[in-house]
Amino acid sequence: MRPHRSRPPSSRRRRAGYLFCLPGMTFLAVFLAYPLFYNVRTSVHDVRLSQLLGGSWQFNGLDNYRAVLDDPAFWHSVRLSVVFTLGSLVFQFSIGFALALLFARPFPLGGLLRSLLLVAWLLPPVVSGTLFRWLLDAESGAYNALLEAVGLGSLSHDWLTDPSTSLAGVVFANIWVGVPFNMLLLLVGLHTIDPQLYEAAAIDGAGPWQRFRRITLPLMRPVSVTVLLLGLIYTFKVFDTVFVMTGGGPVDSTRVLSLYVYEVFFRFFRFGQGAAAGLLLLVVPLLAGVFYVRRLRREETTGGAA
Amino acid sequence: MSYTVDRRGLLRAAGAGAAALGLGGALASCGSDESETATLTWWDYFTLDNFQPGMNRLIRDVEAGVPNVRIQRRTFPFAELDRQITLGAISGERPDIAIVDNVAMNTLGGSDLLADLTGRVEAWGQADQYYEGPWDSCRIGGKVLGIPNNSNCLALYYNTRMLESAGVEPPTTWDELASAAERLTSGGRFGLALSAIKSEEGVFQFLPFLWQAGGDLDTFATDGATALSFLHDLIAKGSLSESCLGWTQQDVNTRFMNQRAALQINGPWQIPTLKQADFDWGVVALPRDQEAATCLGGENWVLMAQSENLDKAWEVLEYTQRPSVLVPYLVSFGNLPAREDLADRGAWASDPALRLFLSQLPLARPRRYGRGYADASQAISEAEQAVLTGSASPSAAARTAAAKIDKALSGR
Repeated sequence: MRPHRSRPPSSRRRRAGYLFCLPGMTFLAVFLAYPLFYNVRTSVHDVRLSQLLGGSWQFNGLDNYRAVLDDPAFWHSVRLSVVFTLGSLVFQFSIGFALALLFARPFPLGGLLRSLLLVAWLLPPVVSGTLFRWLLDAESGAYNALLEAVGLGSLSHDWLTDPSTSLAGVVFANIWVGVPFNMLLLLVGLHTIDPQLYEAAAIDGAGPWQRFRRITLPLMRPVSVTVLLLGLIYTFKVFDTVFVMTGGGPVDSTRVLSLYVYEVFFRFFRFGQGAAAGLLLLVVPLLAGVFYVRRLRREETTGGAA
Repeated sequence: MSYTVDRRGLLRAAGAGAAALGLGGALASCGSDESETATLTWWDYFTLDNFQPGMNRLIRDVEAGVPNVRIQRRTFPFAELDRQITLGAISGERPDIAIVDNVAMNTLGGSDLLADLTGRVEAWGQADQYYEGPWDSCRIGGKVLGIPNNSNCLALYYNTRMLESAGVEPPTTWDELASAAERLTSGGRFGLALSAIKSEEGVFQFLPFLWQAGGDLDTFATDGATALSFLHDLIAKGSLSESCLGWTQQDVNTRFMNQRAALQINGPWQIPTLKQADFDWGVVALPRDQEAATCLGGENWVLMAQSENLDKAWEVLEYTQRPSVLVPYLVSFGNLPAREDLADRGAWASDPALRLFLSQLPLARPRRYGRGYADASQAISEAEQAVLTGSASPSAAARTAAAKIDKALSGR
């Protein structure tokens, strides 16, 4: 697609090109296209546990979608997912940005600290979820003990078993999981800014705040959008952290969309409805994904000059 | 995987052949024997290390005692097994034999996935040896779809010293339980611990209260409200921690072990852990209200309807029910037998705590409610969580749940 460099390839070269694509295409077809197709097919049939073996799936058009969209529990979980995603993104990004700014300048033990922070990102979500379940535990949790120790014992709380704070609890854990990822990408972004720009600005008398606002922020915009989009894609479908920490409870205060889909599938074994709900869950990350790919393409065509 | 089995099969054939030659005859039968060796796949969820010796021994026993059988075992995490069996219906990969939680019979039972064992069981003639609850959990829609593997139920554990120093007897009724829990609560210690987590585990612990109130799922609006308000009062008085909404039964036992709870509702599978406690404890039947009741737990053996080796698989099940095979297996797992005729045999015959649990089995009720049970169970846990967090009154929550339960169980 880059017209300025390549001559029209000979048919032999083109064939070789397709050949190189083949493994990737096969992979996508087997592991992405086929399951997706299967899911779409399931979503327009009445598939319950009792129909699985019979083989005769009853086509029921959009009934499954209607059933899902009519379910108040579905909309409740959509709202929770939106709050969960926005809450996570805002803090992940701002804390990640602050840490990136901190680590952009070399200081003693900076490298070590930075790699330690990355551990959070490397941990499997089940592990970090379990960890936070313990930390936030009402009686034996470290956070309440900490509050007690600094004389704020009155603030100690049943974070995860009180429906009014449970969502905040899982968002808190998810922020911790996401910060290193944001920090890493933003740090890379910061390194691409030419230091001479800052020197020139300093000579012109710009203070740190002005340099940050006039140079860092505008130049970080493309990276920031990318980071936020990727964050949105990852966060909207988070399952494991929440599942491990609260299982969707208490009552249904943390039953985000991915948990709702899981329940329809594997607790109630309503596969048709589950497939429909799963596809609806896919809508938001898909839109974000389209945006992301389009941006990436625009950056590639315009950004080659720097 | 199958390669090693084949190789083993080959070695075995060679051995059999040599033996046959040595005996000077029966060559023909050796050949036909070999062709009939069936490899049965076996799925269960006993993944913990301490279960492996017992399970390996059981499988060795089966392979040695049932002619021409090889067992290929695969384990899954507890929550995965039902799912894998159902997915197997789509992918075609399913076991011949599985050990499933007895509550899974509700969903699996209506799915045509499980083999109908009714005729075989009749011919076998040992059905009447089983406790009623465990056996009932295998009977779905007039068919026998499995046989019990082991059984358990809930009872009330108490910390002996705490009860003595508070001058409290182990409670036998709801009133006694409430006052005991209140008197045993002090400082960082709660009188009672139980699991009210939003999963089947929490429902398993809640149902006895419903039944003790004299009701069942069809009278949830009234008796459910009674049970819910009893638990709500315990929390309101501070005798039960609101954190129980997030506790698994394992968490509950940890509280009890750390002496942060004087009483706990739990099952016999905690006994091996509790034996390591450095304090004295005892266990009594769950306190009664209108009725005495406890909930049946444990596993059932099931066979898959699509299995190509159904006859062999049934032969294996029959073999496992011989006392010489079953008793050592149950003892090594710390499980209770589902068979009355084994009551005086294993470790449970001499251990007072296990004996108490065994004595409760005759009144342990299975959760045998049919296909809609998953929805009903969800409605129950939502009601319990709503009441215990104070977001709904017991009667309102019970009414909402009752409507959902009725809809779920009437086949929608």
